[in-house]
Amino acid sequence: MNQEAGPTALRSSPVAVRGRIGQLRDRASGRHSPVRRLDWTLQLCVIALSGIGALLVWSATRQRLDEAHGDPQTFLKRHLLNLVIGLLLGAVATVVDYRVIRAYAPFVYLGSLVGLVAVLVLGSTINGAHSWIVLPAGFQLQPSEFAKVALVVGAAMILGEKHEDRHTGIQHSAPGHADVLLVLGLTIVPIGLIMLQPDFGTVMVLVFTVLGMLAVSGAPRRWVLGLVLCGVLFGTAILQFHLLAPYQEARLTSFVSENKAASGTGYNVNQAMIAIANGGIFGRGLLHGQQTQGQFVPEQQTDFVFSVAGEELGYLGAAGIVVLLGVVLWRALSIGFGSQDSFGALIATGVVCWFTFQSFVNIGMCLGIMPVTGLPLPFLSYGGSSMFANMTAVGLLQNVRLRSRSDPYAL
Amino acid sequence: MNDRMRIRVTLLRVVVLSLLVTLGARLWVLQILDGDHYRQVAETNRVREVVTPATRGMILDDHGQPLVRNRTSLVISVNRSATDRQTDHGKAVLTRLAGVIGTPADDLLKRIRFCTAQVKPPCWNGSPYQPVPVAKDVSAQQALAVIEHPDRFPGVSADLQAVREYPHGALAAHELGYLAPVTQDQLDKQGDEKGYHLNSLIGVAGLESTYDDELRGADGVQRLEVDRFGRVAGTASTTAPASGDHLVLNLDLGVQQAAEQALQDTINSLGGGARTGSAVVLNARTGGVVAMASLPSYDPSVFVGGVSDADYRALSDPANGIPLLSRVYQGSGAAGSTFKPVSTAVAMANLGAGGDQRFPCSQTLQIGDQVFHNFDGESAGPITLHQALVISCDVIFDQFAYDSWLGDGGLRNGRGPYAPPKEYFVRMAEALGFGRSTGIDLPGEAKGSVVDRADAKAIWEELKDSYCRRAKNGYPEEKDPAKAERFRKYAAEACVDGYLYNAGAATQFAIGQGQYLSVSPLQLANAYAAIANGGTLYRPTLAKAAISPEGKVVQTFQPTKVAALPVSPQILAYIRDSLRGVTSEPGGTATGVFADWPSATIPIAGKTGTAEVEGKGDTSWFASFAPANDPQYVVVVSIPDSGTGAEYAAPVAKRIYQAIYGVGQPAAQPGGRPPAALPKINRDGTIAAATTSAPFQSAGPGGTSSAVTALPTARSTPPNSAGALVPALVTAPTKAAGTETTSTSPAPPALTSRSAPVSTPTSLSVPSRAPPASPPPSAPSRSPP
Repeated sequence: MNQEAGPTALRSSPVAVRGRIGQLRDRASGRHSPVRRLDWTLQLCVIALSGIGALLVWSATRQRLDEAHGDPQTFLKRHLLNLVIGLLLGAVATVVDYRVIRAYAPFVYLGSLVGLVAVLVLGSTINGAHSWIVLPAGFQLQPSEFAKVALVVGAAMILGEKHEDRHTGIQHSAPGHADVLLVLGLTIVPIGLIMLQPDFGTVMVLVFTVLGMLAVSGAPRRWVLGLVLCGVLFGTAILQFHLLAPYQEARLTSFVSENKAASGTGYNVNQAMIAIANGGIFGRGLLHGQQTQGQFVPEQQTDFVFSVAGEELGYLGAAGIVVLLGVVLWRALSIGFGSQDSFGALIATGVVCWFTFQSFVNIGMCLGIMPVTGLPLPFLSYGGSSMFANMTAVGLLQNVRLRSRSDPYAL
Repeated sequence: MNDRMRIRVTLLRVVVLSLLVTLGARLWVLQILDGDHYRQVAETNRVREVVTPATRGMILDDHGQPLVRNRTSLVISVNRSATDRQTDHGKAVLTRLAGVIGTPADDLLKRIRFCTAQVKPPCWNGSPYQPVPVAKDVSAQQALAVIEHPDRFPGVSADLQAVREYPHGALAAHELGYLAPVTQDQLDKQGDEKGYHLNSLIGVAGLESTYDDELRGADGVQRLEVDRFGRVAGTASTTAPASGDHLVLNLDLGVQQAAEQALQDTINSLGGGARTGSAVVLNARTGGVVAMASLPSYDPSVFVGGVSDADYRALSDPANGIPLLSRVYQGSGAAGSTFKPVSTAVAMANLGAGGDQRFPCSQTLQIGDQVFHNFDGESAGPITLHQALVISCDVIFDQFAYDSWLGDGGLRNGRGPYAPPKEYFVRMAEALGFGRSTGIDLPGEAKGSVVDRADAKAIWEELKDSYCRRAKNGYPEEKDPAKAERFRKYAAEACVDGYLYNAGAATQFAIGQGQYLSVSPLQLANAYAAIANGGTLYRPTLAKAAISPEGKVVQTFQPTKVAALPVSPQILAYIRDSLRGVTSEPGGTATGVFADWPSATIPIAGKTGTAEVEGKGDTSWFASFAPANDPQYVVVVSIPDSGTGAEYAAPVAKRIYQAIYGVGQPAAQPGGRPPAALPKINRDGTIAAATTSAPFQSAGPGGTSSAVTALPTARSTPPNSAGALVPALVTAPTKAAGTETTSTSPAPPALTSRSAPVSTPTSLSVPSRAPPASPPPSAPSRSPP
């Protein structure tokens, strides 16, 4: 719940950054300046979502902080600070050259693995998962968030790069078996490490992201179908042989079972659903939701932040958030569509799969149609690591956009 | 990026879009379509009801003497929403409390557990917000020990609660009934309609059940807005409790006491085993129930605060005679000769017998292979129906029934076709109310049975399979081989021709015997009332009126006529005259019993009965009314497994009459009339006696002086102070964050209430003795900062 430190994993050459910034400034006034060529619809929607998120987080935490004699605006301020830091990270991700990203991708990937190992050694357990590294001064780091970025970049590099270069720039072939195996190998390591935490939700995000990228990259169909089948079998086996911790199994099954009103996991969902339904069409007004202000919904500023929107902003506000997310995802796919190379398209695909999965599971959980997995809602949920990772991903999208084929000034 | 990839990206777009549309649709369903349901849930989520039970109305006899009233009890309660927040979940507090009230701490822990499917009593099945009562009727010292040390007993409270009190113990227990906590099922189905709350006590037996709506009143409800941690943020609404109405009965305390005492004495004299007996007194002119006694009985106070398992088992144990069961209206059996007036009515109204006509009262009557004897095996020669009733000749009535059976075609197992059977005896029994519930204002009435030809066939259709199985397999569980063989033979016959209307049973019907007739003492009394009052069948009624706590008559329960007898007044007069002869004429079966009775002033008409019961001694019956020339009261007594009607039942009836009219004692019904006016209940809850009607010149010693005067009822609860009796209790959490400084001990305002008339020492003036530093302990809530 405390301020998280910025990512250490993603870094580019300071020289290159300074150079690009200089170029951008020079061209900022031009008709085809890169600043203008940024996808501002996407960027504004992301900022709007984060801003709404700040208000919702504020509403969800204000009462509690006040009772504890804290500053009621603490979380509001921190969420906004996270947003600013995130935007900066995104700007870096936007201006760094493709080639730099590709060159550093292995390091980014390895860095994320180091983080995941570190969390197992140094980490603290919050809500049953050993996912946080507690830093001095109340800062916390969640390395699994950065693993998402790293995996998207890494997988896009392997799936997008190779079959482009092989025959003198002619892009004709989809990734082969070796590429798929390599990607799977790259995926399995962080998944294994995250499983040890255990953070089942993030594992699922990675699985669906890589699966989506494989499918879009044109990997052999039998691989895609085979992986889906494996996933189904694995999932069944997990439930059948009770491989999960009891609390995890309870979370997954409580959404299927009827007894949602029961205490424990079902309680959270039930309270969230009550809060959302309590909003009606127009909502109870920000800071006026009885469920929210009465602190009936646990983890409301993180996993269940959508229930604040549902209760206080009503259907108009909650559906508005879904629409904004839709615009973000739509623009992201448009960027992928317009990308000049497979790498850019796969980056966009990976980010979209990641955001879509997290958004659908998170909101679906609040609405009682998905199991409780503890995934944050992109941009809205409170959490520094998550915000930084999301903003970096958005920065990568803008990067792809700037270098798309339709751009005469593509770098 | 190639075109195939573009297609795949487009597909991804479709997937993303459809997922988002799914979310939007689900959101629509949740917020708009199902919104109302969830908003209601949100309401209950957020609002906690604290219930202040209404003071239940008293139940008073016809003169206004309380049969059930309320007393206040000092109750120590533990509020789990407070103790659960303590670091040790209240263990230390409970251990200290155990020392104060002298109960092992383990017992206390068990009592405050929440009941679940696994956790059986002792446990708490109420709301977690309602304090759990752990000790009742504690002393003032014990209560003060808790109240004065909120620091030592956080989450523990002592307050006054109204509980039911039965000043006469087991008296009329079956009629009064008892209370029990509302069940979840009742709460779900009728909670809103009837205003039940979790842990409401509702009447589940007797009058408490029938008139629950009148007696219960309306609970006070304080609706508190709370947050997730149960911390009170404010009061949404408050309704004060409204006390229930008092119920005035037709039942008379004096008559009831006499009836129970007389029965008890007789049963004691019989000795041995679990004996039962019952007596009922009706007002012949209205159907009002003046007394209703059934033994064995029980003290309903065992149900106060929840009956223990062992107690309940004992009360339903056949070895104890099933004390919970009222023999008056919840059991039935053969009526014996007390049924003969009904047969007399058939003979005269349907079969053309004249009052002066003589019929042979021979020694025996041969029907098929069965031989029916007169009870005493004597022949009395040709006699009138009047004499037949007086000396209780069986054979004359047997003959009428047999002839009637023959007239209906006998067994009707020939070719036919047969005319519809007339079944005079069965029809007359039904006209007098046998075989169906009388409609008395008590739950669980037994209907008895009157079986006609169609019924017999229907019953046989239902049972023939089991008869035939028994015919084949016998009764191996029956220890007596002779008995088992008799049963098997009966089953074998029933298997073959059980559908045939049995001549023997049809014949015995006329003398109140056989498998086609079974009556409850209440039914018999009601039928006698109809004969006595000239032909009107009433609905027996215990309740006379409901009176509001302010003393206003809210409702009177008027006599309800159920039917008019299909018998002419002349025939009824003939029967009444004959029954008078039973107690006064030479040879009358009860003449000996009433030899010393002042028959000149209070003539009694009655009929003895001695019903034979398979495997047991005879049931002694006496059914009667008085005065015979102008009937006011019907008295029916039934004592199973004893002997003849004259020997056991008639003397009990005589003692009841003595009490009613004041023969040799003060009259319970001065003037020989039930009180005409209702008792006056004053605003402060005291009761003035009902005035009696016209003075009555009793010949018996003792006179008619009214034993009833204004009753001191200081212990009963003044209705207007009901709200103060049970204070609202929501304990603020002990470890609440923030500005919470209020002490958690919710000392009840009731203890400080000057209006609460508790017979506890005056030292209970808590505020003056409490340390001045402690805040007003009644503050149930924290105010929002």
